[in-house]
Amino acid sequence: MDVLKRFSNRFKASLPAYLLLLPSLVFLALFTYGAMGRVLVDALYQRATPKAPVRFVGLDNISAVLADPAFTGAVVNNLVYAVGTAIPSIGLALLFALALARTNAVSSALRAALFLPVLIPMVAASALFMFIFLPNVGLLDYYIGRLLPVLPNWLGDPDVALYAIMIITIWKNAGYYMLFFLAGLQAVPEDVMEAAHLDGAGPYRRLRHIILPELKPTFLFVIVIATLNAVTQVDHVFVMTQGGPSNSTNLVLFYIYQQAVEHYDVGKASAATLLTLAALMGLTALSFRTMANREGGP
Amino acid sequence: MLFSRRLMLGLAMAGSFASALAFPALAGEGPTEIDLFFPVPVDGKLARDMGTLIKEFNEGHPDIKATAVYTGSYDDTLIKTRAAIKAGKPPSAVIMSANFLLDMQIENELTNLDALIKADGTTKEQFLGQFFPALQGNAVINRSVYGVPFHNSTPLLYINADKAKEAGLDPEKPPQTWAELTDWAKKLTKREGDKVTQWGIAIPCAYDYCGWMMETLTMSNGGRYYNEEFGGEVYYDTPSMLGALTWWNDLIYKHKVHTPGATPGPAVSTSFISGNAAMMMLSTGSLTYVRDNAKFNYKVAFIPHNVRNAVPIGGASLIMPAGLEAEKQKAAWTLIKWMTSPEKSGWWSRATGYFAPNMAAYKTPDMVDFLNKNPDAKTAVEQLDVAKPWFATYKTVPVRKNLEDEVMLVLNGKKQPKEALAAAQKAADETLKPYNAETSLKLP
Repeated sequence: MDVLKRFSNRFKASLPAYLLLLPSLVFLALFTYGAMGRVLVDALYQRATPKAPVRFVGLDNISAVLADPAFTGAVVNNLVYAVGTAIPSIGLALLFALALARTNAVSSALRAALFLPVLIPMVAASALFMFIFLPNVGLLDYYIGRLLPVLPNWLGDPDVALYAIMIITIWKNAGYYMLFFLAGLQAVPEDVMEAAHLDGAGPYRRLRHIILPELKPTFLFVIVIATLNAVTQVDHVFVMTQGGPSNSTNLVLFYIYQQAVEHYDVGKASAATLLTLAALMGLTALSFRTMANREGGP
Repeated sequence: MLFSRRLMLGLAMAGSFASALAFPALAGEGPTEIDLFFPVPVDGKLARDMGTLIKEFNEGHPDIKATAVYTGSYDDTLIKTRAAIKAGKPPSAVIMSANFLLDMQIENELTNLDALIKADGTTKEQFLGQFFPALQGNAVINRSVYGVPFHNSTPLLYINADKAKEAGLDPEKPPQTWAELTDWAKKLTKREGDKVTQWGIAIPCAYDYCGWMMETLTMSNGGRYYNEEFGGEVYYDTPSMLGALTWWNDLIYKHKVHTPGATPGPAVSTSFISGNAAMMMLSTGSLTYVRDNAKFNYKVAFIPHNVRNAVPIGGASLIMPAGLEAEKQKAAWTLIKWMTSPEKSGWWSRATGYFAPNMAAYKTPDMVDFLNKNPDAKTAVEQLDVAKPWFATYKTVPVRKNLEDEVMLVLNGKKQPKEALAAAQKAADETLKPYNAETSLKLP
């Protein structure tokens, strides 16, 4: 009885809060959870032949996706892409942030310059890079062509295309991650740095033993963001390669698009979406838990 | 009657969402409102031209209010049309890539136009007879009309006439066979040591374009890409396609007159405009771009042949999605007929660079005048005599991609033509399997 009363009291107390949250909850339900629910349902249905009715197939769609070499290829490409874009762009971002940590006129101008690629929409940037990468006549070949006799067909060679795409991502994201590191550097305690200075610690030791440990939460956060970007940003694949040549730049999200649109196979597209969502949610939960532990919990 | 219409108008103007949702039938008392989905595959100016065209239509037809909705590329237009059909609000007419029609018909997404043609008192033969015969294959499925050709193209050979003269070749006598073309390309390739400073020829290969070029080369080698009568078969592993791909491969690795790898369409046209490639094979749709940008004399010619002169068509047709209300269907049919009439067809052709599908368009004074000023636009029309339909199968895009992925490997020197085509055939047969299961292999 007492428990019930306490519960109802608590509910009464928080009722206004729920009421205030209601509009957002409605929209979340409609546009986020509703869509996810629909994907979940769609992933369980399939039709055997074009004119046959849609019927319940359970997990068949998921196993069909897992057995599809195009999907496994896309997953491998995506892993290479995620690692190959996250590490260099985070490394560059840290380097930029360390170099430009002190605010003065020059560093502000440089920060703005490094941040500029973030402001350019990915589609516009891809269209620009398409012309930079043009074989024989593009800007890149025009300059490097003077040094090397034979150049790769940047976007037309399956061995090179994924790396060409990765260069754009790194160029575009490094400036963005730099912002987080700049913010993180502000949080490094001034007195600790000063003490290290007095104790005769050189720049390398200060970086290794003070700055980097202090930046750990920032690192974790940026890694999560970079991984999410690697899965959700495929605008340049759409514009520049359409996943080609020979599927060499096909990423998971583009694979889903292909299944839904080109193959007109909603079941397989939904199944692939579910798998991706599960992987991303698992990864995010894991990272944020690690982060919370390091911070000492909320 | 008048009063009630006014009342309705007043109600509609009040902008009440609920009334519009609850009484959709009553809304039909005003002018019939129809949507036209249109893609812009070439450049941004087309959107403005389309606006002009639709405005003119609305002024001439007070009982219909057509709205042109820009829907992106050909592929995007298919996606948006399908989404609109699924949402229960199909557009009344769509300018659809001509090789998507069969796939849509198989999915029951198209309105059969036979009844509308009959209601006009014309026979199917009379109706189709207005259009170039080459375009009819992509508009007719199982002897029923499902699309009306709107703007079309064929591939052409573009030649940098200045460079040809420089190399001692006569641009007035363009190469007509693969042997001649190979010879021209060799003479037009310039090298400095290992480095090629000017390529003899460029042929585009990116998804979509690559399949179309393979169809072009296969046809001029005597072959067929697919079964024109039945959407469940493609002919990838055949001598005619093997010859086509081997020749393309030879241009790269044996004669070394074509840049290695897969080159997308914009890269090919830029390469040609900048003088880096002396010849290219590209759509007639690029003619306006070349005319406006080339700082040299150029010449366009038929695609050279090995066995026979033949090329596929490209471009788009006007279609009506399935499940339209009778009134909208009627209004959309009026719009479609108006847009494909000789005058409008010709006007659109001059604005865009596509050729006009309606043969009578070329007899209008404006068109005669235009062709006299731009004789290069004539080549595309003349080549129509040897043109054939664009490949269209069940799941056209994935089936095409099954071939393109393998062709790209060949152009990059990673596979030999023979094994690539065998792999492409196997993959395509797999993609086509469900359709065959309910058609050709569904036995009593």
